Amino acid sequence: MRKEMPWFALIWIILAVVGSAAAPLLTPYDPIQPAGAPLEPIGGSLLLGSDQLGRDLWTRLVYGGRATLSASFLAASITICGGIFLGLAASLIGGLLERLLLLLFNATMAVPGLLLAMLFVGGIGPGFPSVILAAGLSGIPGFARLVHSQAESVFRQPYIEAARALGAGRVWLYIFHILPNLRTELLSFGTTYLAWAFTGITTLNFLGLAGDPSIPEWGVLLNTGRSYLIQAPQLILLPGVFISLTILSIFSIGEWLSTERVTERSTNRVEIRNTQEEAL
Amino acid sequence: MNKRLVYPIIAAFLLLLSGCQEPYKEPDLVYGLTLSPTGIDPHLNASSELGIPLQSVYDTLVFRDPESGQFVSGLAESWSITDDELTYTFSLRSDVVFHDGTPLNASAVETNLDRIMDPDNHSQKALSLLGPLTDVSVDDEFTISFHLREPYGALLDALSQVYMGMASPAALEEWGAEYQFHQVGTGPYRFIEYIPDSSILLERYEAYAWAPPFIDISPNPPERIEFRFYTDPATRALALESGEVDIMGEIPVHDADRLAAEEDFDMLAVPIPGQPLQYFFNTTLSPTSDPLVREALFQGVDRSAIVETIFGTSSRVASDVLSISMQTFPASSRFAETNAELAQELLDTAGWFFDEESGFRIKDGSPLSIRIAAPTWGMNPEVCQLMRADWERLGIQVEIQVMPGFGQLKEAHESNEFHLIGINFFGTDPAFLGSFYSTDGLYNWSNVKEPELDRRLQTAARLQPDLPERSVLYAGAADSIRNQTLILPVRDYVNLVLVRHSIHGLRYSAEGWFPLLIELSIES
Amino acid sequence: MVSTINRTEHRILTLIIRTFGEALLTAWAAVTLTFFALRATSGDPTANLLAQGLASPQQVERLRTALFLDQPLFTQYGRFLLGLFKGDLGISFYTNRSVFLTLAEQLRPTLELGTLSVLFMFLFASMLGITAAWWHGKPAGRFASRMADVLTTLPVALVGLLFLYIFSVIRQHSTRPGGFNPYSLLLPAVVLGFSLSGGVARILKSSLREVLKKPYILAARARGLRKNGRLLWFALRPALPPAVSLSALEIAYVFSGTVVTETLFGRPGLGRLLVSSILQSDFPVAQGVITLAALFYTLTHFLARILILLIDPRLRGEP
Repeated sequence: MRKEMPWFALIWIILAVVGSAAAPLLTPYDPIQPAGAPLEPIGGSLLLGSDQLGRDLWTRLVYGGRATLSASFLAASITICGGIFLGLAASLIGGLLERLLLLLFNATMAVPGLLLAMLFVGGIGPGFPSVILAAGLSGIPGFARLVHSQAESVFRQPYIEAARALGAGRVWLYIFHILPNLRTELLSFGTTYLAWAFTGITTLNFLGLAGDPSIPEWGVLLNTGRSYLIQAPQLILLPGVFISLTILSIFSIGEWLSTERVTERSTNRVEIRNTQEEAL
Repeated sequence: MNKRLVYPIIAAFLLLLSGCQEPYKEPDLVYGLTLSPTGIDPHLNASSELGIPLQSVYDTLVFRDPESGQFVSGLAESWSITDDELTYTFSLRSDVVFHDGTPLNASAVETNLDRIMDPDNHSQKALSLLGPLTDVSVDDEFTISFHLREPYGALLDALSQVYMGMASPAALEEWGAEYQFHQVGTGPYRFIEYIPDSSILLERYEAYAWAPPFIDISPNPPERIEFRFYTDPATRALALESGEVDIMGEIPVHDADRLAAEEDFDMLAVPIPGQPLQYFFNTTLSPTSDPLVREALFQGVDRSAIVETIFGTSSRVASDVLSISMQTFPASSRFAETNAELAQELLDTAGWFFDEESGFRIKDGSPLSIRIAAPTWGMNPEVCQLMRADWERLGIQVEIQVMPGFGQLKEAHESNEFHLIGINFFGTDPAFLGSFYSTDGLYNWSNVKEPELDRRLQTAARLQPDLPERSVLYAGAADSIRNQTLILPVRDYVNLVLVRHSIHGLRYSAEGWFPLLIELSIES
Repeated sequence: MVSTINRTEHRILTLIIRTFGEALLTAWAAVTLTFFALRATSGDPTANLLAQGLASPQQVERLRTALFLDQPLFTQYGRFLLGLFKGDLGISFYTNRSVFLTLAEQLRPTLELGTLSVLFMFLFASMLGITAAWWHGKPAGRFASRMADVLTTLPVALVGLLFLYIFSVIRQHSTRPGGFNPYSLLLPAVVLGFSLSGGVARILKSSLREVLKKPYILAARARGLRKNGRLLWFALRPALPPAVSLSALEIAYVFSGTVVTETLFGRPGLGRLLVSSILQSDFPVAQGVITLAALFYTLTHFLARILILLIDPRLRGEP
């Protein structure tokens, strides 16, 4: 049973993506250059006022969306491609490799998501590219595990067995039959992991791991605006609202895309929910 | 049966955990620290932050009066200098007792100096302050002599710093490498505990009876003082307002203004002597190896706007190689107002022409590109961001890298990949400029090699501080530094301190950062 | 005489042993991953010590030999594992002190925050879950349900900033309490507990609703039992097990929550230590914190799985 389409979420996402792409057209100022006096309030000469160094807040928000959204998509792509590859490989090849890969997945998931990403940032060195890479890499084990278990259940379907009995090769089967069948699930998992990438990147940047505090990015804006909570709350409230709207929209869309499957084992549902909880 | 036991077991575990707390004695005063140093041993470590608590744990041979700037007696009652200025002899007080009961005498002072001068101990600051000191000798129980290789005008200044605080030889012997966690001095407060990045505890030392003359001991000073760390500027105002902290410095300007307007808080703006917030140009790396480019970079930055935006009205734009509070140089500024148009002309003259396509200046096919290594403290990242904005308008490509520690700044210098590095030391005597601008100075981060500059600095360091020739020599050195544009100074350091209204008597030592805690009284 | 173990108990025992074995294996793998992820990509780790002047070149050479940094990576790994068993986690590259000591010093504030946060998590999850189930369909119930959903998606950082803002505004307009400050532990714990409560609230809501729909409850209500506190108490007890199971699993995520919360509120602890050690490239300390987190996670999961086994009759194979 499909829920009704989440209109607000869709509209917001489209607005955000289009707005980010059209950033130079929508903003009169440079996100790095000061445009006025520092901490100007909303409604003055600058639409949303200015930040602590006099830069136009609206400009930084729009460019911030560009940075955050493109970084999240990039990280999610890394997770999805890597996850599909490893998950299918584990299922396809089976045997010892499968067990090793599963062990690797479980091991990496023993380190909670955020810490795992921080581990990767630590290894590569702080910076915005490493934050993206780290967020992408840290999602791979969970995604791969999901892909693996879904692939396994599709593999057991009667028509696949029939095809094998007729002599179809495993690899061919995986690429042309199993993978397409996972489309809906992958889309649903994909949105969940997009949300995780988004959360991960904004949190890592909030912690200061991007290295350069002048980058217009929503997580960085949250971090640098903290000092001005009382004088200029809009510096963190506005990025905060944008971040919340985006995450909630992604999740709404994700829920709408997932078809609810009734499963016998209740623990299965707990597992899928766990991956959503890891977004924290 | 299983189910019923589970919840009680969880509850019992949680109770046990909460019961594991030791009884916490409430301190009378909480002081907020804003940097977490790698170590707080005054003889071995260099951070100024460590002096904030330790100024009250240790005494030095001499002190500098915060008002007059003159040297007054401390652990030494009197001193004399030989005519050749190579030997300083100090007569120590005979009534001083360390916190652990052992007496202070000349042999104790010798032990302290040996420790500082031992190369295996790698003293990061104390040793460099001592300059050409070769050794010390014990003349009798309370008389000690310092022997110099050549005259050195800054010796008394060195001996007045907390880094030369006298520690108990018994404690040094007992604790060895762990001494920083069990420090024993002669000051008005006893060192109780240090938990890195968490807290430092001090307790009143009742037997303290040898304060320097300018100290005005409060009738009811705090008994127990705790220091907590607030390395994140955003949390400092919060801590003050919530009552968690009573005194804290390095408060961001807008928070300071807001809190000062409230009746619960008073603000002190304490100028800190030493070098201003500044950046060293790397003179051996292109394009900053070209003096025209350096001057252009200097002219291209609107320093007044930067200082006003970030530091409000509390700070002055830096006018010289040392802050104006040191009164080393005449009032007129060497680093005067800047002119962006001049910057454009200089860059054109240097051969860097504006390329419409890329938006940057180009020479021989490559763009004009600068890398800055900026410390995380003192609002350096914000200053760099505004400098970058100014320079990008001139067509210069700028990359900022933020360095969270002194070690990383040093690595940045050694890698020779950065055109500007931000670093500044504090101090009350210009002699330390030698480390920064001499050819083989320890912190010669502009890589300058100028014999005339070396000569001026070395000669000046030999002279006694009150001689006019000394000022002339330093002025000449400063001219040279300015003419070669070795540095880009931004602002004279001012420490904005917020103190709770119920606390009276807050005064800072001559070095600026260190509070004289024994003078405090708390109104109940 | 043949001793017979009850078949159920035998199954439980096997499950416990198997779970323990898995946990051990996972812990080892996690620790290994941490080691290689940090070591394999970094440059010369002793450069920082040298740069700070904490050691002379000769001392650095000796240190490198002592730390086996000249040896191939696998030998270092072996030493690392050995050290782990002895409790030796190495020396910080930033302060030259023992990593174990550094961790021990920062453990207590994090433990305080974590424990109080978990308690708040239970509190908020109960409030939201019970409201959502009890007043299902009514505005209060819908609000609670929606709030729980939203909480599972929002990052801790956002929830924290929001709370901080609200409390700053409140404080601006109220008289200040003197003396002891409630915000140093209370507010961060409330923030973290609240953020984590969404998932458990959701499970509690669906589980309680299921119980409320059960025939025996409906029958009791038909016989005149009113929908009040006593009914709630009766309905709650069978509804709790799935919620408790999930919350035991959620506890493992408290650790990542403390990283953000400690940074946001400026509290000392392992979370703040991790952030600063990564920024300062202090690998031994970062490695130590993450290893500790992985071991904690594995232990909590293991205990949670045992707990689930004990309190959820369905999984034991009983009807």
